[in-house]
Amino acid sequence: MQIYLPIAEMTVPAESILLLGTFVGFLSGLFGVGGGFLTTPFLIFMGLPPGIAVGTQSNQLVAASLSGVLAHFKKGNVDFKLGGVMLVGSLLGSVIGVSLFKLLKHMGQIEFVIPLLYVFLLGSMGLMMFYESLSSMLKKKDVEGDESSKLMHHKFFTSLPYKMRFPRSKLYVSALVPGAIGFVGGLLVSIMGIGGGFLLVPAMIYILGMPTILVAGTSLFQIMITTIFATIMQAVTNHTVDLVLAAMLIFGGVVGAQFGVRFSRKLKGSYARFLLASMLLIVCFKLAGDLFIAPTELYSTEVN
Amino acid sequence: MFRFVLLVFVIICGLTPKAYAFDSDLLTIGLADDTVQITTGFNGSRLTIFGVKREQGDLAIVVRGPERRVTVRRKGQSLGMWRNVDDMRFRNVPSYYDFAMSGVEREIAPAILRREYGIGVDSLNFDALGRNTEAEIRTFREALIRNKQMHGHFALEPEKITFLSDEFFRVDFDIPADVPTGRYTIMTYLFQDGRAVGERKTDLRIGQVGFSASVYRFAHNNSLMYGIAAVLMALFAGWLVNLFFRKE
Repeated sequence: MQIYLPIAEMTVPAESILLLGTFVGFLSGLFGVGGGFLTTPFLIFMGLPPGIAVGTQSNQLVAASLSGVLAHFKKGNVDFKLGGVMLVGSLLGSVIGVSLFKLLKHMGQIEFVIPLLYVFLLGSMGLMMFYESLSSMLKKKDVEGDESSKLMHHKFFTSLPYKMRFPRSKLYVSALVPGAIGFVGGLLVSIMGIGGGFLLVPAMIYILGMPTILVAGTSLFQIMITTIFATIMQAVTNHTVDLVLAAMLIFGGVVGAQFGVRFSRKLKGSYARFLLASMLLIVCFKLAGDLFIAPTELYSTEVN
Repeated sequence: MFRFVLLVFVIICGLTPKAYAFDSDLLTIGLADDTVQITTGFNGSRLTIFGVKREQGDLAIVVRGPERRVTVRRKGQSLGMWRNVDDMRFRNVPSYYDFAMSGVEREIAPAILRREYGIGVDSLNFDALGRNTEAEIRTFREALIRNKQMHGHFALEPEKITFLSDEFFRVDFDIPADVPTGRYTIMTYLFQDGRAVGERKTDLRIGQVGFSASVYRFAHNNSLMYGIAAVLMALFAGWLVNLFFRKE
């Protein structure tokens, strides 16, 4: 069935969008990731303008992160004070990200920069996770988070000013550290259309030294508020949020996530991470290939 | 249905012979629908034009979408990767262009005249902005046309004009699913011995209607509320999921 997207002003096959939403929802249920890293590139492969893909994806992330936040909130696993400091950074990051997006689009480089950033992010995260999961699979045991990494005790981080106490996380660190992590998160939401959980979570564990149990809930809380803000900003400044597209992605995501959560109980942690890493690398190779293979048509047009 | 439309049309034409300006007397044009309505299920459409010509001669019909500024970009290789390295902006590019002719292009009218009336893709003229050499402009212009044709927004070849009698004709234009919206003009020209003797302008509106139109208007006229509504929809969906599915 073909469906007309009122904001993108084009027709897309509804089945493909629902399938994409379901598949991404399945992954998010299975691995606990937002899945934006798959949705945005696939929407662009389907011929949607990158702006619409990123803007609409931020709206979808609001739904995906809220259900996660509520679950963690009930267990008391959200550090609101730390999340709040990260938010200051991430809101600033998304304001700058939206303007940067506009500038790159004007320069005609957005279709180059988005895949390039994806290749870097997916490639590095994928390789690290691939190596880690493979070695833990071979050792036949599940090593959760290596405690030998003590980046937060590095001189650079301890010497920063504006130190704050975060009683919930039992931390006494410079507010600049969570602020900077949030800033990167905000940039990711507004330029790449991803929540960035797969980058924020390791950063909060290794750089901030947060207790692992609070990390997921706090990062989801931060992502939710950032994506709410980004959605409204994209709608106001760029008119790139398509409600019909978002509704289909959200619906598919809800259905898919249920299967994912059920399936995840039967899957060992290291195998799940191995699968996720393989998937990140496949998307990474596909995008990298497109950057290096000569296009059949060198010219493209854009209506101003 | 078609016969009925035809009959009504012939009657209307017969009843109002003096209703047109004198230089347009030779041609009468009517659309089966004067709007193309884009609904949520829109998957392209067909635009049917009926007409009567009262003298001998060849016909050319041109359908044009609203004019836009278009940036054409050229990719090049840097550090092994392909990215846009050059661009050129054009003014008055019709967002959509299709045409129909009753005969072979060059037999209907000389190139100068075709260019003047914009008959045929090659005779479209849009202005390049900025300082560029003639050769550059030509390359980018050709690329622009090629791109538009590839997306189905510029005609590859003329549609056929079907004559139902010596005077009475019909043309069908296929409208793609991603047709640009806005006010369209349909120009019909009558040529005799390479001279234009009659012309007729008809308006067409292509736009979203119903639910899609409301969403579009909401997003553009009240974008802040639209953004908030989008967020509320997502929050509601997320809350529902939590309510029904997460019971651990």
